[in-house]
Amino acid sequence: MRHILRMSIFGLSWCVALLANAQDRTVTGKVTSSEDGTGMPGVSVAVKGTARGSNTDAEGNYKVSVADNATLIFSFVGFAAIEEKIGNRSVINIQMKADAKSLSEVVVTGYGSQIKRDLTGNIAQVKAKDFENMPVPSVDQALQGKAAGVFVNSGGGKLGQAVTVRVRGNSSISASSQPLYVVDGVPVTSDDQSNYGGDTNPLADINPNDIESIEILKDASAGAIYGARAANGVVLISTKRGKAGKTSVSINYQAGSAQATKRLPFLNTEQYEKFYRQAAAYADGLDGLDVNDPNSYTQGLFGAGGFLDYYSYGTYGTPKQTDNNWQEKAFQKGPMQQMDMQISGGNEKTKFFMSGQYLNQTGTLIGNKLERISGRLNIDHQATNWLNVGLMMSLSRGDNWRLPDDNAFSNPLQAAALTPHTPFIDPNTGLSAGAPPGDINIPLYYNPILSVEYAKFVQTSYRNLTNTYAQATILPGLKFRTEFGVDVLNQNEEGYFQSQTVRNQTRAANGIGSNYGTFVTNYNANNFFSFNKEIGIHNIDATVGMSYQQSQTKRNFVEGTNFPSDSYRKIASAAIKSDGTSTETNFRFLSYFARANYRLKDRYLVGLSARVDGSSRFGKNSRYGFFPAVSAGWVISEESFLKNNRIVSFLKIRASHGLTGNSEIGDFPQLGLFQGDAGYVGAPGQRPSQIANPDLKWETTTQTDIGLDFGLLNNRINGEIDYYIKNTNDLLLEVNVPGTTGFSRQFKNVGALENKGFEFVLNTQNTVGKLKWNTSLNFATNANKVTDVQGQIIEGGVRNMNRVMEGQPIGVFFTREYAGVNPDNGDALFYKNTKAADGSIDRSTVTNGGYNSTERVVVGNPNPKFFGGITNTLSYGGIDFSIFFNGVSGNDVNFYGVGQYSSANGIYEDNQTTDQLNAWTPDNRNTDVPQARYLITNGSQPSSRYIFDGSYLRLRTLSLGYTLPKSITSRAKLERVRVYVSAMNLATFTKYKGWDPEVNSDTFTSNFAQGNDFYTPPQPRTILFGINIGL
Amino acid sequence: MKKIFLLGTVVALTTLNGCDKKLDVAPTQTIDQTVALNASKDVEAALIGAYDALQGASTNTNGDTYAGGYQYTSELLAAVTTEVRFGGTFANLQELFRKELTTINTTAETLWLRSYLAINRANNVLANLDKVTDAKRSRVEGEALFIRGAVYFELVRLYGKQWGDGNNASNPGVPLVLTPTTAVTEANKVPRSTVAEVYAQAIDDLTKAEAALPVANSFYANKSVAAAILARLYLQQGNFAAARDAANRVIASGRYRLVTPFGAAFNTKLNNGGANPAEYVFAIQVNDQDGSNGMNTFFGTTIGSIPGTAGRGDIRIQPAHIAFYEAGDARGAFFIKPSANSANVFTYKFLDRFGNVPVVRLSEMILTRAEANFRLGTTVGAAPLADVNAIRTRAGLPSLTTLTLAAILKERKLELAFEGHAIHDIKRTGGTVGTLPFNSPKLILPVPQRERDIFPLLVQNEGY
Repeated sequence: MRHILRMSIFGLSWCVALLANAQDRTVTGKVTSSEDGTGMPGVSVAVKGTARGSNTDAEGNYKVSVADNATLIFSFVGFAAIEEKIGNRSVINIQMKADAKSLSEVVVTGYGSQIKRDLTGNIAQVKAKDFENMPVPSVDQALQGKAAGVFVNSGGGKLGQAVTVRVRGNSSISASSQPLYVVDGVPVTSDDQSNYGGDTNPLADINPNDIESIEILKDASAGAIYGARAANGVVLISTKRGKAGKTSVSINYQAGSAQATKRLPFLNTEQYEKFYRQAAAYADGLDGLDVNDPNSYTQGLFGAGGFLDYYSYGTYGTPKQTDNNWQEKAFQKGPMQQMDMQISGGNEKTKFFMSGQYLNQTGTLIGNKLERISGRLNIDHQATNWLNVGLMMSLSRGDNWRLPDDNAFSNPLQAAALTPHTPFIDPNTGLSAGAPPGDINIPLYYNPILSVEYAKFVQTSYRNLTNTYAQATILPGLKFRTEFGVDVLNQNEEGYFQSQTVRNQTRAANGIGSNYGTFVTNYNANNFFSFNKEIGIHNIDATVGMSYQQSQTKRNFVEGTNFPSDSYRKIASAAIKSDGTSTETNFRFLSYFARANYRLKDRYLVGLSARVDGSSRFGKNSRYGFFPAVSAGWVISEESFLKNNRIVSFLKIRASHGLTGNSEIGDFPQLGLFQGDAGYVGAPGQRPSQIANPDLKWETTTQTDIGLDFGLLNNRINGEIDYYIKNTNDLLLEVNVPGTTGFSRQFKNVGALENKGFEFVLNTQNTVGKLKWNTSLNFATNANKVTDVQGQIIEGGVRNMNRVMEGQPIGVFFTREYAGVNPDNGDALFYKNTKAADGSIDRSTVTNGGYNSTERVVVGNPNPKFFGGITNTLSYGGIDFSIFFNGVSGNDVNFYGVGQYSSANGIYEDNQTTDQLNAWTPDNRNTDVPQARYLITNGSQPSSRYIFDGSYLRLRTLSLGYTLPKSITSRAKLERVRVYVSAMNLATFTKYKGWDPEVNSDTFTSNFAQGNDFYTPPQPRTILFGINIGL
Repeated sequence: MKKIFLLGTVVALTTLNGCDKKLDVAPTQTIDQTVALNASKDVEAALIGAYDALQGASTNTNGDTYAGGYQYTSELLAAVTTEVRFGGTFANLQELFRKELTTINTTAETLWLRSYLAINRANNVLANLDKVTDAKRSRVEGEALFIRGAVYFELVRLYGKQWGDGNNASNPGVPLVLTPTTAVTEANKVPRSTVAEVYAQAIDDLTKAEAALPVANSFYANKSVAAAILARLYLQQGNFAAARDAANRVIASGRYRLVTPFGAAFNTKLNNGGANPAEYVFAIQVNDQDGSNGMNTFFGTTIGSIPGTAGRGDIRIQPAHIAFYEAGDARGAFFIKPSANSANVFTYKFLDRFGNVPVVRLSEMILTRAEANFRLGTTVGAAPLADVNAIRTRAGLPSLTTLTLAAILKERKLELAFEGHAIHDIKRTGGTVGTLPFNSPKLILPVPQRERDIFPLLVQNEGY
């Protein structure tokens, strides 16, 4: 680290010698819009080839000091940039023309930026306006449907939990498949840091409203600059910066309420009794019992002292019997409010952006709440005419009242399985059912309400993201930039479970408390030179530099039991300190990178980039990886034969090819290790814990991309088409080794998989003028195939039904194939699917007894084949309206987590979904629900019966706003007043029978085990009212 | 100017090369294998790690190797439905119970893996004895040899044919690995040694262990423990003289005595504060912080009136077994129903959740000496009748006046019921399991499929 600082200081000190000494003079002028001739505020006025520049003020006036013979560049989002030689003029007025979809927009690349027109790689850009004020805690959720080829699954409805993001498919089996997140140049902690319930999402510490733009580096040429960490795509997040001119103050307040998007219909008492009387009678029939026999299934359920009698507190069959919708108890109305304040401004030398936010969001599941307070200060300062410095800093505190994971009886939604006859309140105690001193064995399963009433688990995180930079202009066109950033995440998790929860927390008989501390510290330094030179028809843009990252994670944990009473909740009062640990892990990256873009005659583009990545995670024999990429583009519309074409205004073809890596393989996977956890009843012991692999390295992805960018009718219609092939090799797998070694597995680089697909983006301006109507559409296809896993059996998900198999997409559902119901007797049937000697498949069926004799086959694929989004925005006068749909198709969801209990034609006493009422009876023979047989298995084994199509189309957001006319607002001395109403997840169109097709259970999900539903709460439907005031 | 720039770049990039060392990050929670075994204390800790492997390493909650795995595997393989019923849901145990094992049976796989885990840990100790201080070296070596020898013996009698069934010098035993693993290469694909070779290795290890071990060594292995496993091994081979002598050495040490009543010999946490009763020659230690009792997991069940009891209640004892006991036999009353009207009966031996798992009790040694003396017509240590009557007296039964081999074997079956001897006694005495003869391939565990997937040349057992 000291070396880097020394180098930076060294770099800066010799730059001091280069103080520019050119003569300065001042140029002023006004920038107006060609549309209505009004002054344009906030237009960037840059002096070409220097760090100097300014912005226009509220009236469109600017003032800038320049050297003789300088050239000014005027640029503004949505308008074509203009270059103007000043000559000997001192006043220059400019009229800017709107560019339909400006190709002159600046796109952030790694360690630099580029004009979109000149891009040869594939970078998707999502701007602030696409996600601002969306009621989601983390920005990754907001990317859903906004960028082609970027698939997002929010998993479930618990607040602040991990989100699955896949850029161009899933390119790993055992290592992470999540993209790398980089905020203002610092790779940030984005993986789970939770010790309770499902995975959490550290990106929720970042206020989405602080973000100016998000760039997603998708292809190899864009990603190679991030080398060994770019194979899953790179998400570059740039925060907002101040502009010179009048200080702008924006206050936004929004408040509203959320509800779970769906309830699943479950049986009420009447249906339950009718259904289970049948189920018990059929079971009695099979066992030759009379329904009045005291030992019969029927009497066991309905007789005196039987199941319903017990679990209804004796109210069953009496006038006191109540009908209780337990599912409804799991949900609540989730009010939310959010207050934002943003102030930005500055002068020619110093610009600032500051913001504060308070967010308070109540979950749609009982007991779930999230609160965030965050602040940010971004400063850019021009220290001298060759030196710019700046600071970006944010602080946040987040509190998350967590819920247990989906597979816990204390998961509120598991209440749906409870018997409708069981009252919510124990009539004997007046307390919730199951609370002592009442009978703790009622209801049927642990009552999750008790964990809301008598337990809590709160995660509090403090997050600081700071990045400072200094940028020196050494020569015209040559800059040196040094950046130093930190990402500090301090997290405390504290839980206390009172004695009332003992049925769920077996050790809570006298209370159990736990306290976890997690400290993740991440340092990052970037030092790079960038060079830009235009010589006649040649333009060259180059970057070379290095980067160093150091990350440390420390954790500690203490647990105590036996508290004097539930009034004491701190472990200080625990008579037994029952458990404790402290751990630490580290990783480091040292990288060198370079990039060169060459442009000839504004139409021929070539790009080269490469990175050398060294990491403490790699083995000694392969410590450094080299990741090069090459790309080329041809702007055909610059050629004479298309130059002034009336229809085709822009046309570019581009191609790229290169290597990227995935190094999310954990820390120290390459070393031979001993661990000190092999004690024997108090005597300390150690054991060999990991076998060495000094050759271990990153996973390598070779990606080829060809693309076409087009603009028609003066770019009113524009878009992109891409085709890509990603081949990932040297997959990091845990490979079986001979057990006689004393080990069972070892990390090795073996295996391969591929992803390929199309991406399509289309933006249109349907109407211009008073009524403005824009549409943007994106969609992508992705086909994933595992080509080689060297015969390893890799399975996961609910009942290990997800499997990684050669020749199949990653994580396919591999289980027995359900063949429906025998209409003659209501038996469930399964296809044998055994392979005969001649290779033919036996499609005959067997019933329950033959289940084990059937072969498992691939019955579904959790990976979407097609996904996208479409946004329409309309504005007329002061009214603005936008509607955004996103959709996913071709993926399957495994409902077995719920179905094995709740859609199992009455095998257990769990309350059933109403579709089970369609079970086979002699009068209802043509059904796919087998005969209900209480306590006798009939088709509830794992099978394709529970694999459903998870395609959906969702009205993701809708908003309607009205900006008050200036004539009114100016009287109140306000710049702008906008009131709006917005809604999220207003409607979902799907055939999926569970709560929500956008599902990834927080318990059974792994990198490849996707699409599992396990009483996973659905997403919230939120309606908000807001007001935005500009001062 | 350009020169300055170039110079700066060169200087900057070369200085940065020093950063390479930054990538040598050492783990903090674990240590590199090269620094793990440098001092006496390190090797002693590795030895404790080898006991840990016998006890139930890492996440396996069903008890490993001597913490239950060897024992319940033997009992389930020997179980006939009239005497014992398996009512659990684990497919691996059901297969054992029905004698319909598949090559992917997880018990067969786990026992194999965990046994070699223990062997590798013992090998790590044996390869680093030079670092152990002189005063401790002999003991440390003895303990590691004991662990390795005992585990090889258990492996060969579970995965190989019974000694003497065919040619011991050609029947496949198990792979012999005698050095610690530091890296995995082709050389780690080790073929099966013969039954004779594995027995020879186990005898060698245990004999050396007995010589090296001290007389007393807390609950760790001592001289008598090594002798006890040797007695068991020789008995399995039908080498009655050696078995008799080894058993006699254990008894004659005078360190152990039968406790009364019979029930005091079990459920050590409930009865004895977690300590071994005087009768235990060797037991795997379990407490509420460490280890799990695999016998408790499957034979035990929660008895509402006895706090501290637990278990899945999977293995239930049937009337035909209980009928073997004479009236007044304390061992015949050592069964329990969870509630008065429960249909299931459980052995009382393993109710204790945190009880130690007995591996060798003194009564096994007494019965081994009695059987060997009887077969050889000798009275080394004591007359066979006196030995058998010592066992009967403790059980509250009248003494016998005459003795037959059948009577000794019956006494052995009842005294040591469910403690892991069943299948091995049937095999060495040429008995049957239901209709299966003692040498049926169905009573031998398969070499795990995963091993043969990695190393196809590893010979599979007959019948798989």
